[in-house]
Amino acid sequence: MKRFKGATVAAALALLVAACGGTSEVSSSPSEKPAGWLETLGEGEGELNLIIWPGYAERGEYEGFNWVDPFEEATGCKVNTTAMTDSNNGVQLLQSGQYDGGSFSGDASVRLMTAGDVAPVNVDLLSNYANVFSGLKNQAHNSQNGMPYGVPHGRGPNLLMWNSDLITTPLTSWDAVWEGNSTVNGKISIYDSSIYIADAAIHLMAKRPELGITNPYQLNEEQFAAAIDLLEKQEELGVVYWSSYADQVAGFASGDLVVGTTWQFMANVLGTDANAPKVQTLMPAEGSTGWSDTWMMATNAKNPNCMYLWMNHMMSAEANGQATVFFGEAATSQAACDYAETISPGHCELTHAADEAYWEKIWYWATPREDCDDDDAATTCKTQDDWVEAWTTLRGN
Amino acid sequence: MISRIARWFSARPRASLGALLSAPLTWIGTVYIGSLVVLLAHAFWSKDSFTGKVAPFDWTLDAFGQILGNPVYLAIALRTIGIAVLVTLTAAIIALPVAYYIARIASPRVRALVLVAVTMPLWASYLVKVYAWRTILQANGLLGWLVAPLGIEGPGLTEIWNSWLVLTYLWLPYMILPVYAGLERIPTSLLEASADLGGRGWVTFRRVIFPQLIPALAAGSIFTFSLSLGDYIVPDLVSDAKFIGNVIYDNSALGSLPVAAAYSFLPIAVMMAYLLFARRLGAFESL
Amino acid sequence: MSERSSSVPAVSLRGLTKSYGSGDVAPAVAGIDLEIRDGEFFSLLGPSGSGKTTTLRMIAGFEAPTSGQIWLHGEDVTTKPPFDRDVNTVFQDYALFPHMTVAENIAYGLEVRRVPAAERAVRVQEALRMVRLEGYDERRPAQLSGGQRQRVALARALVNRPRVLLLDEPLGALDLKLREEMQVELKAIQAAVGITFVYVTHDQQEALTMSDRLAVFHRGSIVQVGAPAEVYEHPATAFVAGFVGNSNIYPDESARRSFGARGRIAIRPERIRLDKPDDLVAADEGSALGTIASVVFLGAETRYKIALDTGDDLMVAQLNLKESPMESHSAIGRRVRVTWRREHLLSLAENPQAAPA
Repeated sequence: MKRFKGATVAAALALLVAACGGTSEVSSSPSEKPAGWLETLGEGEGELNLIIWPGYAERGEYEGFNWVDPFEEATGCKVNTTAMTDSNNGVQLLQSGQYDGGSFSGDASVRLMTAGDVAPVNVDLLSNYANVFSGLKNQAHNSQNGMPYGVPHGRGPNLLMWNSDLITTPLTSWDAVWEGNSTVNGKISIYDSSIYIADAAIHLMAKRPELGITNPYQLNEEQFAAAIDLLEKQEELGVVYWSSYADQVAGFASGDLVVGTTWQFMANVLGTDANAPKVQTLMPAEGSTGWSDTWMMATNAKNPNCMYLWMNHMMSAEANGQATVFFGEAATSQAACDYAETISPGHCELTHAADEAYWEKIWYWATPREDCDDDDAATTCKTQDDWVEAWTTLRGN
Repeated sequence: MISRIARWFSARPRASLGALLSAPLTWIGTVYIGSLVVLLAHAFWSKDSFTGKVAPFDWTLDAFGQILGNPVYLAIALRTIGIAVLVTLTAAIIALPVAYYIARIASPRVRALVLVAVTMPLWASYLVKVYAWRTILQANGLLGWLVAPLGIEGPGLTEIWNSWLVLTYLWLPYMILPVYAGLERIPTSLLEASADLGGRGWVTFRRVIFPQLIPALAAGSIFTFSLSLGDYIVPDLVSDAKFIGNVIYDNSALGSLPVAAAYSFLPIAVMMAYLLFARRLGAFESL
Repeated sequence: MSERSSSVPAVSLRGLTKSYGSGDVAPAVAGIDLEIRDGEFFSLLGPSGSGKTTTLRMIAGFEAPTSGQIWLHGEDVTTKPPFDRDVNTVFQDYALFPHMTVAENIAYGLEVRRVPAAERAVRVQEALRMVRLEGYDERRPAQLSGGQRQRVALARALVNRPRVLLLDEPLGALDLKLREEMQVELKAIQAAVGITFVYVTHDQQEALTMSDRLAVFHRGSIVQVGAPAEVYEHPATAFVAGFVGNSNIYPDESARRSFGARGRIAIRPERIRLDKPDDLVAADEGSALGTIASVVFLGAETRYKIALDTGDDLMVAQLNLKESPMESHSAIGRRVRVTWRREHLLSLAENPQAAPA
């Protein structure tokens, strides 16, 4: 229940900050040092406050997975974490000004860079950065104007998960969650976030090519309406929305849920519960949404040295290997991949860590923009606000 | 010196009252009212749709436009108010006989036991209670297990009626206690007088007891109604339905503070209206 | 009222007992027998805890007797609930319904018994007139004085025209002056309506003033029943002698020593004359010598405590007909002769239970 408490406090703090503070200025002049720029790495400040995805900072709750305690021992930086429920929530939390940084997916990271909430990173100070797969460097979601704004944590697709005790024929596509059937109706588990509209768009890309969707995050009026229409039909099948991973795990464990969209993480957790039904996961053929997460530092971080130390730590073979195995996502360097193999043989291949072709099919979470994120000034797309409101409408009715 | 100050204050009761109250009033004024004003001010501020940043003092009515332009906000409000009213009525209907039993029928020993039983749920954590209800209501939960022999499935965790049930359970003590206190306040001689004048049990209840319990019921309903109106965890955890609180929470946590703030006006207005209504019924003499 | 009297008593209590709790606790009412005649103003008099209120509540039906029977006008109502008994009660705390107006309070009994609205209105006005509260229809009980509430309570009971009206210390909460006014008024109302009044009080003055007959309660039993003068003049027991009016009460030995009488006796303070030591004594009078030990001036009368030479104390009340109050204070220590008529020495029953009815 951390999520309610944390979010409420954060919302209250956000009010104060928004009321008291002005907007941060991002310097565009190359001669000046950008805000939050670290020239040299100093001693750790003793504390580090992070916004994380659940499972991104483990300290031994599950045996064999602990990469926070070693970090604290090595650096003296005491780590405090707050879990976000979705990217919108993560943005809101960071803007409250109480955090040194966090692990952000593409739909949050770009907004944070644009707003100046996060600082560019001096990667020369990070010894492990050199090992990172080049496909994860200087991407749209983690850099601006050729300047890196963070370091990768891992990436993975949003997966299809089903109760394989009940559904014995392995599923191959998302159809079960969109079209339903007598086994799954009323027990379909769907991520409760406006970003899920993109999953509908991916289904439409496969089923209704005439709509001309080229990017599931940048939808024009007609495409957007079709996606919402699809979601409304889906809701009639009997959908249970999850916003905390624990809700979904409990639902599958109790039998209230039999199929849905998930992260590998939840399948792993269910796998540790001997009483829970068996589950299987799949990245369906039509592709999926996914994430490529980036550790970013807040521009106004109070503990920048600890944050740099943490970013470097999270690129180390041990930490990244453990973290990516734990969450079931792809490691960010060959060294981490090799380490992961020692914990979970076959992990690298299973998660396609170095398989860039595989990642072509994954649409990393991105922010809907009015300019459609393209060069054509004539096209306009639905904005982030439109997505949030459409989601409120869908869920409220 | 101190005695001179003391003398100055003792000659000026208003000044000493002011000095005494200045600290708590400042606290209430800045922290309580101040934060509320800041929250509500957000409703009139604009927001960058991409970065989610609020621009203070950039006045606009966009947030209200969004709420008024989309019927879903009205539907959610009506649903929330409807459930809150239903919870209040159900709590009142259950509370009356329970409180009557405690106040008038039970022996002192049993009375103490029942009072403890009624208030016991208040000692448990709110979330523990809600999660307990989840295990009861979920598909393979206690309720499902009980009705399974009848060929009926458990309600699962999506029914809106689950919220009604769980909210009634949660807030029932807040109705029982004032009604019990209200019954205690009615002198036995009034009931005897009614019987003496020919009133049987039901007539006595309807004509003598109930009218005098209206302030107590109104006082209890302030709790059940406002707590139900403001709840957003129960509908989320047992119903999968959106209440006013969920929309405010979602919008504030997910980046649209102006909409959250604008929508906050609604429960505030509803509660104001309800408090005025309750005051007319004499609720505040019964708190 | 005698013309309304019939052979069937209005209230008849037979072996009425009420016990709270188990065996060894003395019962609140211990097997009383009593007949109250139709149309009479009957008082149940006794100190608090003597069982008089419990008896009244059993007649009303608020308490069920442990044993015994209650008959009203020849009908056994022992097991009937209050709403099935043709009696009404005026409560000590008035028990007016605070959420109803005066008129609604008075109309309540009629409404519950489904008296038509038109008749109801007429009878409510009648009742208001009887208690002199015309025009107070729309007031709430909270807006009335104590005396006015008392009247409303009375009207609310009387409007139902019960055959017996039960009054539980109805004047207890009023101040002295108002109480005296209401006593007169109650008596007048009872005379006007001719209903049997059963009146509970601990105030012997009130009981003596108002009652046709009264029953003196003591420890759950009735020790004496009779007309006020009868009870006053011939108290059956020392308790009655002491409780109804004031009495000097002497056990056997003191009675013989100081008054030359046999057995237990009582004498009222006002029946004793205070003379000079050498004053004469008539043939039918007794007399003793003593010293004034204390003086209490009460306005119309003065009370003297006399230390008799025999060693007993005696209370004497003298109307201040000629003695000036100024002088009475200097009387302490003066030698006096106390004189009484022998007929005023009241001999008391040994066993209080064996009181004549």
